[in-house]
Amino acid sequence: MKAIVSVKDAVKNYTLGNVVVPALRGVSLDVIEGDFIAIAGPSGSGKTTLLNLIGCVDVPTSGTVEVAGNDTRTLSERQLTSLRLHTIGFIFQSFNLVSVLTLFQNVELPLLLQGKLSGPERVKRVTGLLDRVGLREHAGHRPSELSGGQRQRVAIARALVTKPGLVLADEPTANLDSVTGQNILDVMKELNRTEGTTFIFSTHDQRVMSNANAIVRLADGKFLDRIAPSALVGSGGQGGHELGKGTRA
Amino acid sequence: MRGKLAALGVVAQMAFRNLFASRLKTIIVGGIIFFGGLLVVAGNSLLDSLVASMSRSVIGSVAGHIQVYNAASKDPLEVMGRMMMGDPDLAQLDDFAKVRASLLKVPNVKSVVPMGISGALVTSGNTIDLALEKLRNAVKARANAKTDAERASADAKVTSEKGHVRQIVSVLQNDLKNAKTVLDARAIDQDDAAAVARAASDAFWRDFDKEPLESLEFLENRIASQAADADLLFLNYVGTDFKAFEKAFDRMKIVEGTMVPPGKRGFLFSKQVYEEQLKLKAARRLDKIREGLESQGETIAATPDLTRMVRENVSQVREILLQLDNAKTADFRAKLQRELGSKEADVGKLLAAFFQTDDNNFRQRYDFFYQELAPSLELYRVRVGDVLTIKAFTRSGYVQSVNVPVYGTFQFQGLEKSTLAGALNLMDLVSFRELYGFMSGEKLAEIQELRKASGAHDVSRENAEAELFGSKSAGDDAALAGRRIQATTTPGVAPVMRDLGESLTGKLQREEAKSRVFPSDEVERGVVLNAAVILKDPTKLRETMAAIEAQGKQDGLALKAIDWKTAAGLIGQFIDVARQVLYVAILIIFLIALVIINNALVMATLERVREIGTLRAIGAQRRFILAMLVIEAIVVGFVFGGLGAGTGALLVSVIGKIGIPAKSDVWFFFFSGPRLHPFIGTSNVIAAFIIVLLVSAFSSFYPAWLAMRVTPRQAMQEDE
Repeated sequence: MKAIVSVKDAVKNYTLGNVVVPALRGVSLDVIEGDFIAIAGPSGSGKTTLLNLIGCVDVPTSGTVEVAGNDTRTLSERQLTSLRLHTIGFIFQSFNLVSVLTLFQNVELPLLLQGKLSGPERVKRVTGLLDRVGLREHAGHRPSELSGGQRQRVAIARALVTKPGLVLADEPTANLDSVTGQNILDVMKELNRTEGTTFIFSTHDQRVMSNANAIVRLADGKFLDRIAPSALVGSGGQGGHELGKGTRA
Repeated sequence: MRGKLAALGVVAQMAFRNLFASRLKTIIVGGIIFFGGLLVVAGNSLLDSLVASMSRSVIGSVAGHIQVYNAASKDPLEVMGRMMMGDPDLAQLDDFAKVRASLLKVPNVKSVVPMGISGALVTSGNTIDLALEKLRNAVKARANAKTDAERASADAKVTSEKGHVRQIVSVLQNDLKNAKTVLDARAIDQDDAAAVARAASDAFWRDFDKEPLESLEFLENRIASQAADADLLFLNYVGTDFKAFEKAFDRMKIVEGTMVPPGKRGFLFSKQVYEEQLKLKAARRLDKIREGLESQGETIAATPDLTRMVRENVSQVREILLQLDNAKTADFRAKLQRELGSKEADVGKLLAAFFQTDDNNFRQRYDFFYQELAPSLELYRVRVGDVLTIKAFTRSGYVQSVNVPVYGTFQFQGLEKSTLAGALNLMDLVSFRELYGFMSGEKLAEIQELRKASGAHDVSRENAEAELFGSKSAGDDAALAGRRIQATTTPGVAPVMRDLGESLTGKLQREEAKSRVFPSDEVERGVVLNAAVILKDPTKLRETMAAIEAQGKQDGLALKAIDWKTAAGLIGQFIDVARQVLYVAILIIFLIALVIINNALVMATLERVREIGTLRAIGAQRRFILAMLVIEAIVVGFVFGGLGAGTGALLVSVIGKIGIPAKSDVWFFFFSGPRLHPFIGTSNVIAAFIIVLLVSAFSSFYPAWLAMRVTPRQAMQEDE
């Protein structure tokens, strides 16, 4: 199987005023097509930074990030945007739907930006996806009329509408209760299985990460290990509910 | 392509919905833009209409479309609104006939009117001088009387005139009595007081017939100076060819009298000047009070100006008293006593009581004044048919005097109430040239001759000229040294030339003034200062000005052409100032609009950072974000600016139907009539629209720049 993402010794420093803050201190990671990977780690461990690099939202200070065969450091801003539009779907912790657009329009938006499909094709694609996430009836509603879980399902539909090779989800369940969160994970897993879409999501919730095929653990901006969900210690237990709780305290 | 269009559709939709979602912001921003659009359209339309009507006033009254004068002049030409009595320093145009020929070669020139504008101080006549003059004539007539009948009639005349003079003396005596009550005794000239006492005594009048000439001399020397009631008038006049003037300025209408016949000396008073400066002041004030009450809806009680005029009429009855002889005094006493139901015997007090008008009795008193009293009074200091003696400083500084018969009064239709349009009187060119100091070859030779004959010595140039040739009525000048500028106006009788009596030359001049006809050649070929040009097509103003100057050069004439606005001087500048004020106001409004719109959009952008970041993350290019924000701004500009411009246009058309009433005489001039009917200029509406769109687009630049800097990373940031 081909690697859709290949990260090698990625270092990312942010500059805050005169202070250089290292966010990633050299992480390597390969993700192959069809993977369903959780990136785990406490706050500040570099999960979001790593996702940003993979999502072509940012480029590494050093090291390389290749997405669908493109070295992101060699791409211009426009090319990165285009790469995001055509290859990557995003799911955000706060759903980030456009509040003035209907659900249908929110999901349709990436297709309009791509400008590849005709109107009827778009309608078919969008309604199909809304159907898949169980919100077909609500197509004409505005995001504000929906619950958090429903909004996140719309966001999933939006992320998948362009049939991207890769979907990135930054803490997709953090703003949801555990039942709804599991429900969202189920939808994602479903799509991963049927469409073959690669999913990379970050989380610090053990129950969420247990859904993944593999868990990549980060700590202090460094790669810790890559483990199978079964290897999680104290799965479901109260004490180990949040990995690395101790390090955060 | 279809996709692109659809994307644009969604951008627009997002823009619209964003606007709708933040209604308050949209309404505030839109309101300002609305107001700006309205102001641009309404303000500019109003000003354009004002310019159009004002140009009709200026062009139609004296300026013409273009004024032409000598390019070598030191000062710019100003034909209207001159405030001071100083004339601009203009070089002359030597031969008007040549100038006209040159101007008429320019195809767009319809007609040319020769002009020279200047002014002179003129004193209106003293009532006592006139009364004494009449008395002297009556005395002379009695001395020369050959038959008994003649003697009897002259005797009656002498008695009547004596009565008038005694009446004047008694007014003076009253004045003195009043002065004693308010003034320190030392402030009153004892000699003057003694003279008045003597003139008021019965003994003086008993002896008058024994030595009438001595008595007259005493009255003239000691009393006349105390009873001076003459005003100094400053008359602005245009020396012109009456025929050409009347033809070119067709709004000009003769009100009283007749047009000055071609080739004759003559003076036409502007009706405005005639009313304002030459009418009996009490009568003029009554007219003004009536105007205020009837046209402006004012009341005497509530309008300070009217109250003041009533007060002045009450306190200034002397002017009327001086005109009354015995018979008239008795007549006035009887009439006023009847009218007022009073037993008061003093006519002065009766008049004061009569003029004490209020809102209830004004109309009644006004009618009574004009029906009963006015026929016995000289309502105007100068009457049509009188010969006016005007003295002016010529350019070289000596004093020149000219006698001109007054043929009548004129006004410009639609501008009857405008003091600006009515500021200039008209005079024939020959008299103008003499007053201005242009000398014909004949006259120059005469001066040389005189110089030789008198063995001319070098004094300073001005003095020499003044002494030798300063005035045609020499001697008179020397007597009046120090106040040389004087005109003796002569209602009904020949003027008094004090000291020497009337000289022969004076008499001849007067005859000449009335009867001599100058050949049109002399009028045409002479010197003028400027010329008004009327165009066939007034829209080609600039081109024609250039053509005139070019043609002048070709014909060896240094001509300078200025448009009516420049020629109107201060008045012309007024319109420019008004426009500048409007532009500044518009600029300020739009600057405020810019700041507020900018601020609102920045806020909106900051509120939408996550949304913009999300759009960027899911693949929207920067131009998509830019389009979204600019469309928002332009939609607001389009909708509200359009509404504002539309409302402005509607407002102007409604006002255009009703018309803005002219509140004061100045506005009559600017409105070229009693009401201004503004019209909408399409260019103003378009300009307003473009300005509004530009401003809204411009004000979205900074927020758009901010929005474009939003990175997709900002979509991931959490609020907590």
